[in-house]
Amino acid sequence: MSHEGMPPAEGAPPIGVPGSAPGPADAPAEPLKRPAYEPAARLLRPVRHDPDMPRPAATVAGAVLVLLRALAGLLVGGAIAAAWQAILADPDVELALDGTDLGASDARAVALWIVLGIAGLSVLLDVVFAAFVLRGSNWARVAVMVISVLSISTAFFAWWVQGQEIRVDEAFASLALDILVLLALSSRSAAAYARRNERRPDPAA
Amino acid sequence: MASRRTYSIGVAVDWFFFVFAGLAAIWLAYLSLTETFHVGWWGIPFFLAFWGLLAYLVLPRLHRILTTIYVPDYFIGRTRTSDGLLGDPVNLAFLGTGEQIEAALAAAGWTRADPVTLGSSWRIITSTITRRSYDEAPVSPLFLFGRQQDFAYQQEVAGNPAQRHHVRFWRCPDDWLLPGGRRVEWLAAGTFDTRVGLSLFTLQVTHKIDADTDVERDHIVSTVREADRRVAVDVIADFATGYHARNGGGDSIRTDGDLPIVDVRAVDGGAA
Repeated sequence: MSHEGMPPAEGAPPIGVPGSAPGPADAPAEPLKRPAYEPAARLLRPVRHDPDMPRPAATVAGAVLVLLRALAGLLVGGAIAAAWQAILADPDVELALDGTDLGASDARAVALWIVLGIAGLSVLLDVVFAAFVLRGSNWARVAVMVISVLSISTAFFAWWVQGQEIRVDEAFASLALDILVLLALSSRSAAAYARRNERRPDPAA
Repeated sequence: MASRRTYSIGVAVDWFFFVFAGLAAIWLAYLSLTETFHVGWWGIPFFLAFWGLLAYLVLPRLHRILTTIYVPDYFIGRTRTSDGLLGDPVNLAFLGTGEQIEAALAAAGWTRADPVTLGSSWRIITSTITRRSYDEAPVSPLFLFGRQQDFAYQQEVAGNPAQRHHVRFWRCPDDWLLPGGRRVEWLAAGTFDTRVGLSLFTLQVTHKIDADTDVERDHIVSTVREADRRVAVDVIADFATGYHARNGGGDSIRTDGDLPIVDVRAVDGGAA
């Protein structure tokens, strides 16, 4: 549809005549206005695709803290191994290895190796995670943060519900490390670095 | 694809960790504060650790979360700090290329600021303590249009790095108009650092600025004009209604609200 079929009346303004047909198709029907509020989805807009982003300090700090956590795990493992006989001598601790026909001293050695194996595995995992975080892997960053959140939550409930004291000792150091790891890796720059290669539809396009 | 998702679930997960880490950091700060009273003389380093935790990790994160909620994310004539707080006021506009602006400032006796790195941060700390001159000292990042400044220039005062004139520049997005409809190519925020102090909002060590930002604005315009007579200046009077406010460090600001538009398009840029 157009106005070409009927010639406009002499002197009549081309637009704004009451009752006339809608304006030409190229004019926007409604002026483009910005919303007066910012929708919540705006907060969740994807980060910029930027593969050349330099590594931020927060990512380096996070990886170093994860390595420190591994080192702390190593120290704790060593301390357990050194004090193993004393720990077992505690009458509250009872070693129960069902279904084995090992002697008492063999059982103690096996239990020690199991404990050290678990500790060693977590140390190894932390070292691998630290390497991947430094390279900017997002899954490693999220995995480290999930572990930290679980560990912090456990410590918090023990402190809040059970009234366990957190004094200046290993418990405080490991909690502080967990929280600092979480702070560093959840920062905006570390997140942007880990997601620098994500190609998402650009909301502005 | 009918409707493309404009939000990212991964970013939502990041927000969860961001807020959780903020809450956990508050708890850690509380624990280290209460420990301060248990460990005798060791309480002094513990108290310093508490301050460091509070000033550089806990309060910035809290401000980031809260300002995301309450500070509008469009142009309101103010820059924002990296924590999202309102920073120095935008008090200058420029027409011309980045090279032309840099050439005009260099001719007027201004020095380009170094980028913030570990090395330059260490040098500004040592030069402030020993009162040595560091005329390319970096300036802290401020944000406009969601971006850090493109470049910053400064002028030292009598060899004292605690005091300096400085001005940061942002390139406006294409087709962006000032409120009121004028087209400018660059916006700038100039303030005068008077001394080193603690920020009111984050307790971080920072430069305190002179409250009368109009003096610094007029100083920038007059030095650039005196150095090169081809520079033209047009003023939008009462662009920002004269306001009294605070910047990101909690320093008060007074201004008459005029916005000079400095036209450096006649300057030879880049010396090429």
